Amino acid sequence: MSDFSRRLPVYLLLDVSGSMAGDPIEAVRHGVKALISELRSDPQALETAYLSVITFNSTARQVCPLTELMLFREPTLNAGGPTALGAALRLLTDCIKNEVRKSTETQKGDWKPLVFILTDGVPTDEWREAAAMLKSAKPANIIACAAGSCADTSVLKEITDNVLLMNNLSAGDLAQFFAWVSSSVKLSSKSLDSKPGAGIELPPPPQGFVIVP
Amino acid sequence: MNRIGEAILASGRKLPYVITDNPPRGGMKYTYFAPDKSYVVQFFNDPSKVDANMRRRIEAIISKYNPTIPESRGGALGTDEKRAAYFEKRFCWPTDIVVSPEFGLVSPSYPSDFFFGEGASDYLELKGKDKKSNWFTSRNRRFLNKSELGDFRSMLQMSLLLTRSIRRLHQAGLAHSDLSNNNVLIDPRSGNCVVIDIDSLVVPGIFPPEVAGTRGYIAPEVLATMELDKNDPNRRIPGSETDLHALAVLIYEYLLLRHPLIGPKIFSTESAEKDDFLALGPEALFIENPNDRSNRPENLDVTISDLGSDLEALFLRAFVDGLHAPELRPTAMEWERGLIKAWDMLHRCENPNCDEKWFIVRDVNEPICPFCGTRVKSDIVQLSVYSQSRGRKGQWRPHSTLIAENNTPVFKWHTHTDIFPDEKADTELEAYVCSHENSWYLINSHASGMMSPMGSPVPAGKAIKLSDGTMFRACREDNGSLIKVSIVKGMK
Repeated sequence: MSDFSRRLPVYLLLDVSGSMAGDPIEAVRHGVKALISELRSDPQALETAYLSVITFNSTARQVCPLTELMLFREPTLNAGGPTALGAALRLLTDCIKNEVRKSTETQKGDWKPLVFILTDGVPTDEWREAAAMLKSAKPANIIACAAGSCADTSVLKEITDNVLLMNNLSAGDLAQFFAWVSSSVKLSSKSLDSKPGAGIELPPPPQGFVIVP
Repeated sequence: MNRIGEAILASGRKLPYVITDNPPRGGMKYTYFAPDKSYVVQFFNDPSKVDANMRRRIEAIISKYNPTIPESRGGALGTDEKRAAYFEKRFCWPTDIVVSPEFGLVSPSYPSDFFFGEGASDYLELKGKDKKSNWFTSRNRRFLNKSELGDFRSMLQMSLLLTRSIRRLHQAGLAHSDLSNNNVLIDPRSGNCVVIDIDSLVVPGIFPPEVAGTRGYIAPEVLATMELDKNDPNRRIPGSETDLHALAVLIYEYLLLRHPLIGPKIFSTESAEKDDFLALGPEALFIENPNDRSNRPENLDVTISDLGSDLEALFLRAFVDGLHAPELRPTAMEWERGLIKAWDMLHRCENPNCDEKWFIVRDVNEPICPFCGTRVKSDIVQLSVYSQSRGRKGQWRPHSTLIAENNTPVFKWHTHTDIFPDEKADTELEAYVCSHENSWYLINSHASGMMSPMGSPVPAGKAIKLSDGTMFRACREDNGSLIKVSIVKGMK
């Protein structure tokens, strides 16, 4: 059994600001739970994907460090406070720097990380510089999802070209979002390879979601 | 919450299916199940890729190239009821084309053996999940309960069954083109396997499908030339030669539980993606390459040499000579012969705690299980089968070798040298080896024409005593074999 398999680091950046309180945060909790259970039942994802959760409200916190799926423990998520997206992006950059293995003469490096950002609002801190850095240096393949009518897709567009818009913040849509994240991770852990530098392959977004051009 | 959809088939028949959010999705298609799960309805991820050519290809696959229905009912040429029934179990072959709500396929569901049941794992919720090969051949294996894992013999049996299925495709001029751990479901408990995703077959005379392939199974030359323009003559596309790479990878994984190309060598420090591309593409290097050990893992306990000389030679041809030279890869027929020879060399490991339970005897004087290191203490009985040279009566050539222990069956392909144990072969027991009061016997249960060493008939129900050096005709007809016995005395 190969010990030379590479890891696929997956970062979830979850907005836990005040506007997520109540049903939405409950739906996110369910979503993370469902995501773990789905990924654990896919042999490739189970072998390859490592998961980390970063939450942000008044500040950003890595509530789960990058962990293999079998050892992953769901974080406690509570909503309240503003939307420090900038802090989350800076923390993400640091985490990637510290946790993702680089290819060296003696070590097989990790795959390029996959990052999913979920936010329902407008950032309340300084975010432009961190966003620009992520967009130009591309240390990860980032997919950002704007949830509900209050989210600002133009902000997300400055982080990544892959922006999705979810019409409302209903439990059903959030569940679909997490199911889609799981399909994306599964598909990525299967088709990893082949063309160096090629864009990532993602499944079509769920019904009711719009790809922001 | 689930809705019921209605698929209208090319024949006009209507079939219901359950529409779910986020249906299981592969590289090409996504899948919905029948309300009673007896069939699946599949649609393409990108309907714009469905063109007249694809329709023509899939129509041909369902009808005139279909080995799972007899020729008399519209199946492939030369397919009789027996062969059709055999391959129906080995392939999940599409049965119908869906024309509405959009172009799609109907395929049978796989038998329940290929879904995990209760108690498959103490760590994971696997009930109802399909048994993709790499649950068993990757590190994920550690999460499965022992009862799911089978043993070396069942993995060898699956290798043989898979090889036979691929040989059948290639015989008809077809190629699977996307053979991988995702497209072969296995049940190591029973030693059965089934090939799925038949719709990407390469069909003679029809433009091949555009298949992305699966990491680890794409042939190196395909990966290396993937970026070239579609019309570039140097671009290599999937076909039977690339199937032969994927087949060898799968057999290697089944028998040795590791990937043949993924080793410690660093090919590029630029990025993981670049390193992987080189490691599986243009610079791919077999981890057991005898001439270049730079990709060899440190502690390889069991290697291809433990699989006997026939399989060792085949793996060297597949992963050393033929890794970058597709025309040198062993054919499915050669693999089938090699695996059958290996099957006849199996011996039970006498260590009751050995996980693999069986191993291949590569040296009768050193019958040691490579998996646990236990030496067989009982006698090793070897039946060397000879065939009569055509037109030269009385001249005998080595044909095959059977390592026997108590209750080892002897089949028609041992007693007759013109019979090959393929899907057409008669699997009724001809005779069996038996140990009784420190002596060995061959009991004739069914064979006609069996002769004793002295030349007198041995009818069914009678036995021949086997001693070192005993020689007898297993069948006195011209195509009947001569068997020479050698017994290496055990330590018991």
